[in-house]
Amino acid sequence: MNKLTLLILTTIISFTFSNCGGGEKAEDSDEIDSVKTEKQTTEKSSEISFQVPSPGEMLSFIKVVGGKNNKNISFLNPISNEKKYTSNKLKVINFGIYSCDLSYCSIFEMGSESLKYFKLIKTMGDEIGVSSAIKPELLKRIEKNIGNSDSLAFITDDVYLSSFETLEDSKQGSTLALVVAGGWLESLFIATNLAVYEENSPVISRLADQKYTLENLIDFFKKYEENQDVMNVRKDFDGLLLEYNKIPLKDAADSKSVNGKKSQDLVMSAEVFKNIAEKIKALRNSYALNN
Amino acid sequence: MKYFLTFIITIVIYTSTYSQTSICGQQFHKKNCSAFDEAKEKDKSKKPQVWDYNAQSKSGLFVQGKPSKLKCVMYKGMDYRISICCEVKSEKIIYKISNARTNELLFDNSKEDPNVDKHFLFSPPSTTSLLIEVIVPKAAEAKENEPNQETCVGLLIEHKVADKKGFSQY
Repeated sequence: MNKLTLLILTTIISFTFSNCGGGEKAEDSDEIDSVKTEKQTTEKSSEISFQVPSPGEMLSFIKVVGGKNNKNISFLNPISNEKKYTSNKLKVINFGIYSCDLSYCSIFEMGSESLKYFKLIKTMGDEIGVSSAIKPELLKRIEKNIGNSDSLAFITDDVYLSSFETLEDSKQGSTLALVVAGGWLESLFIATNLAVYEENSPVISRLADQKYTLENLIDFFKKYEENQDVMNVRKDFDGLLLEYNKIPLKDAADSKSVNGKKSQDLVMSAEVFKNIAEKIKALRNSYALNN
Repeated sequence: MKYFLTFIITIVIYTSTYSQTSICGQQFHKKNCSAFDEAKEKDKSKKPQVWDYNAQSKSGLFVQGKPSKLKCVMYKGMDYRISICCEVKSEKIIYKISNARTNELLFDNSKEDPNVDKHFLFSPPSTTSLLIEVIVPKAAEAKENEPNQETCVGLLIEHKVADKKGFSQY
């Protein structure tokens, strides 16, 4: 190889390496309709950051308080629905929905179902720009831990968190907002399918408490409302919040009085629970295209 | 040999200059913040506490002197542990935690012993939204016209189901 060739080769290789990075390039997402990548700005300290718990946290709680033997998957979003999602909005929201379904199957020890959902979200993740978060070797880890629910739940929760981080690090806020919306909504949909209304049920209390998370979620959406899809989802969630606002605050029965004040809990009646469950179902099915 | 060295130097310059791996990505708090109590771990008679990672944790690039806030939800029936860490170990981060609804101040680390690296343990009596304000103070020796330094700060939130006590339902 002569010197000129080596110099040219060096230059070409240098430019090639200059395009390598630690994650999805923000520019790659431009091909997805209606998702515009936010400008790359340093995340400087200023406004409030609104945080939302992961779907796995809700589902783990349900298992701890009495759902250990549950193996019901009838209400999960069928994998076959995936081909219906042709718009970016539906792809991204259902990525969130299916991620939650994956967590559900893992937490409730349904290993073979976990594998199916993992393969699906791997495919969808490649389409929406989080392929670097869902590495192929995760499939081997899931297969290896198929009989170990704790490890499986950890791995699948990690898939959600990695996707979240990839989108946040690459400044794809609007995509992130839609994924979080899908995941959170599905966790509530699953919870309302598993829960039986009882006034003092911890699951019913946790469902009522989702009002606070919903408020945070709506504030989170407002940051990305220049995206029409996010704005439309935000409006849908505003409708859900109207139902949640009907839940009264009452003095907590098990709380001591401190400085004359008792802590207060959101106490949901059977009627309000029914209305909220129906609203959640309608909203979720409108995104999942379930009739 | 000369061209080989050129090749190596070019690779090093481009990968270091244009690397897209952010030091302040969302893995920062996972890798650097830890409220792990080594003293308790050494005492084997005490039952180890298993804390789970909470997805409301976050890392961010902070400008000295400028506060930043985070709003999160803490559920009744759970225990939470909040710890803060900084890219520069010597930085004294100030953080305050208050009830987002009532503005009641729950914790201010500036009032704690500065020699003790303290985290915040919280078991909410009822589900609540918390507002966490974090600030990296300006360095005392910083000059007025000097541009403010930026530093990565991580906020790690962990949770576990609260231990059952008495007739507690959880």
